[in-house]
Amino acid sequence: MIKPTPDFLQILRVLVRHDVEFVIVGGVAAVLQGVPVTTADLDIVHRRSEANVARLLAALEDLAAHSRLDSRGLRPGATHLLSAGHQLLTTNAGLLDLLGELVGQFRYEDLIEGAEAIQVENEAVHVLSLEKLIAIKTKLGRAKDLAVLPLIRHTLEEKRRRG
Amino acid sequence: MSEPRNDARTGAADEDAEGLPVYAEDGTDLTVIRWMLALSAEERLRWLQSHMQAVAALTRDQADA
Repeated sequence: MIKPTPDFLQILRVLVRHDVEFVIVGGVAAVLQGVPVTTADLDIVHRRSEANVARLLAALEDLAAHSRLDSRGLRPGATHLLSAGHQLLTTNAGLLDLLGELVGQFRYEDLIEGAEAIQVENEAVHVLSLEKLIAIKTKLGRAKDLAVLPLIRHTLEEKRRRG
Repeated sequence: MSEPRNDARTGAADEDAEGLPVYAEDGTDLTVIRWMLALSAEERLRWLQSHMQAVAALTRDQADA
């Protein structure tokens, strides 16, 4: 059963508590930087090292995460999380998408450079910068990506105006 | 306090209290962006969660009706 209302803060708490290395991408990255958009899931790109995947698996255990594409409630294993693929999960705190790579090209190591460190409950979490978000959504070019571009661009302009 | 200027097409105010434009050329409401930027990151996330909760409650009400 998919939890109808997300608790993204709780998912982030668990990931941080387990020292998982990740970058938040997608709608939540935009919201954390002030873009007034909505989204139902938390998308992250994680470092695909064996040590980080072990920490991520422990966090997923706490979140009771399982695939939302499979009615048997399969849980992702290390081989899934070491791959470049996407794991679309349901957790006890909402939907969580783990992306091995973004747009089949950008790994954690590519994204952490230039990522914004944002304080949430006194912990720093890394989010994809608005500039990078604009570049990626422009490249993807899908209707849902293009629809939010004006909001992201205007938020970026407003942030720059404020200095 | 000066009289707000209004857009001839929409009738909406052109400028906010600080003299900043209310709408962008593409129609984006810039006051919502400024409001959002005034929040902390944690407050923005809570805003998103409360929005999703409101949508879920409306959906439930619709299903119960």
